[in-house]
Amino acid sequence: MSVPGFFDEAADSSGRAREHYRTVQEWFDRLTPAQVSGLEEQRNESFRRQGITFTVYGGEEGTERTWPMDLFPRIIDASEWAVLERGLTQRITALNRFLDDIYAGEQAAVHEGIVPRRLITSSSGFEREAMNVSVPLGARCLVAGIDLVRGADGVYRVLEDNLRNPSGISYVIENRAAMTKLLPAVFSDMAVRSVDHYGRSLLRALRSVAPPACGDDPTVAVLTPGIFNSAYFEHAFLARSMGVELVEGRDLVVDDHVVAMRTTQGLERVDVIYRRIDDHFLDPVVFNPHSTLGVPGLMAATRAGTVTIANSVGNGVGDDKAVYAYVPELIRFYLGEEPIIPNADTYLLWEPDQRAEVLERLDELVVKPVAESGGYGIVIGPTATDAELAEAREKIVADPRNWIAQEVVGLSTLPAWAGDHFASRHIDLRPFVLCGEQAEVIPGGLTRVALREGSLIVNSSQGGGSKDTWVLGNPDPAAAPS
Amino acid sequence: MRLDICYRTKFVFDAPARESQNELRACPASDGRQRLLGYRVLVEPSARMLSFTDYWGTRVDQFGVTDSHAELEVTAEASVETQDPPSFSREAPRRSLADPDFLDRHQEYLNPTRHTSWDEAMAAEARDLTGPDAHDAVGTAMHIADHVADRLSYQPGTTEIGQPITAILANGTGVCQDYAHLAVAMCRSVGMPARYVSGYLFSSSDRTGSIEGDLVRVQTHAWFEAAVPGQGWLALDPTNRLAVGRQHVKIGHGRDYGDVPPLRGVYSGPGVPRLEAAVEIRRMDPTRQPPAPMRPSLLAAVRAPRTRDQQQQQQQ
Repeated sequence: MSVPGFFDEAADSSGRAREHYRTVQEWFDRLTPAQVSGLEEQRNESFRRQGITFTVYGGEEGTERTWPMDLFPRIIDASEWAVLERGLTQRITALNRFLDDIYAGEQAAVHEGIVPRRLITSSSGFEREAMNVSVPLGARCLVAGIDLVRGADGVYRVLEDNLRNPSGISYVIENRAAMTKLLPAVFSDMAVRSVDHYGRSLLRALRSVAPPACGDDPTVAVLTPGIFNSAYFEHAFLARSMGVELVEGRDLVVDDHVVAMRTTQGLERVDVIYRRIDDHFLDPVVFNPHSTLGVPGLMAATRAGTVTIANSVGNGVGDDKAVYAYVPELIRFYLGEEPIIPNADTYLLWEPDQRAEVLERLDELVVKPVAESGGYGIVIGPTATDAELAEAREKIVADPRNWIAQEVVGLSTLPAWAGDHFASRHIDLRPFVLCGEQAEVIPGGLTRVALREGSLIVNSSQGGGSKDTWVLGNPDPAAAPS
Repeated sequence: MRLDICYRTKFVFDAPARESQNELRACPASDGRQRLLGYRVLVEPSARMLSFTDYWGTRVDQFGVTDSHAELEVTAEASVETQDPPSFSREAPRRSLADPDFLDRHQEYLNPTRHTSWDEAMAAEARDLTGPDAHDAVGTAMHIADHVADRLSYQPGTTEIGQPITAILANGTGVCQDYAHLAVAMCRSVGMPARYVSGYLFSSSDRTGSIEGDLVRVQTHAWFEAAVPGQGWLALDPTNRLAVGRQHVKIGHGRDYGDVPPLRGVYSGPGVPRLEAAVEIRRMDPTRQPPAPMRPSLLAAVRAPRTRDQQQQQQQ
């Protein structure tokens, strides 16, 4: 069932189930297609009832769909996870050091020649309005989502960093909740590490970056653009799981550089804002003056140090895909360590030599815009039409700083239900890392799966689905559900 | 020259504003050429100030008024001591602009921005003017400044901020911001890093205002600076065809107007504000040098390195 040339997560080269997949594989092997379809029906009904949906933009219809979770889980054994956990912690620690160096430090990485200055100044994510705004603990990226893929050699590589507003954690938790209901027998046979402590961990991380002057009991709020945002479900979910207020910009007011929210009991001071609004909509005084989603004066309050915004403004410079190419060097520079999880091989198109090579081999490479996420704007050489390649070439030549190219990474495969049988489909992994007083990697993360045969595009916005992701090991007592 | 500056802006709303949040950039910079002796900001209705230095090095005073108000008056008073800038030599060849380290340091001053994006027609105009090897770096900037001064005629109140370069060129008229943006765009289009400067000008020949003895009533002014390899930023005032000198008081610089607007903010409420803005500059020096006159050509004035004596001769 494997796809030749790709790493099969569940089976070895002889087709035998890998040790950590054996229980699950045997369990699914015993089911008839009708039983699997029955489970799928239950799953759909449960998601529909809870309103767990997502919006697809740019298709023929801007549509709301039920969350497509495939039943066959992704499983990561304890020792493999331990390496990933260390590697992710290392990476986000270095990225936070970099962001704080750029915005609130001496820009040592520039002065020491690790990155060229123009890499920063030409990044659309470099936000000059955040300059010299300090953040408690230097935790500028409090919630990171780091996308990993596993190539034919079985090596995990980082495909991109998401340091602004990574979404998807609510699906991780909802997937688990659904799976424990659908497959209770499997869970009782295996030690799967819990994920439902996320709300408590997030709240702890947010409170740890409260302004020092605000006392022992800081007030946290989640700032959403509103119900029409595609991730509104997640914003509401997170506020609920932390037990904090979900607010929109119009619910907040800045008075004498202090932020307060309007409540039924009057104004209540807010100390930490977990914002899920993009930088440019946060404060019409300094950003888009026509934005009604934000809060006038919020940036000044942040600068005054009376409130902390998480994630910090300007993190886009850290997940710029041209900066990504330098992350291994940044890890060596800030931490004096060798990177534990390597990058995918990447070409910087503003370097004339690299650009020339890429333009020669455009049909073999993946080309990505540096500041986008969610799979938008990506051109996959081997499957692109001549017209698409010509267009990509034109765009690269016109604005080389805006593009990178990468070798195609063969995404690993797992069985996924294809209507009447299980078939191999490509997957990636977005683990979530919280960085408060110390980094905490949520066991597993969001495994995304390309549900169409042969497709390498896993983004839910592009027709991808997800899988529950199980990390095996003794459940962490601190993370046990309450 | 010792100058006392009073910047005043008043918003009068036809229906009271519920809230306003503002940022003021009116404080003279302290750099090699000028020294700030004192600065204070008054706001009516009163508001708490947050003062900080932004990315570009400009002092910002941020304040919000959260009670209903029909008027908002901002007054900034500054005392500043200015000097003429050091003279620039004509030794930096044009090709020195292509030095990789120089480019790396000045990347953000080379790209088009919202107010400085140019088209091929403007680029060709700038190219013809400067020629690929015709001038050294300093000559390039001065030719551009002269050309902008020739190309545009000053017409107060003709434009709002944000007139695109193509419109400036098509109309052939503008205010100091337009002169500065056009010069910046032309410099960048030929590979010369350039930045927009916001400031004040004490001058009888400044076409934005009037003079009575030692007091001028003007508006805020704008000019530009071009980066000269090995020498720093050369400041030129195309609106008045002047090399920037002691009568110029710099507030700050940026990629264009948007990085250093004197006052920006938002208000909420149904009202529409009427704006009254004025700048008064008083010369406090005991020695009475008349303000610099206009010059027929920037190039003629700046071509030879000047000593202080020579300059005083020119001014008489």
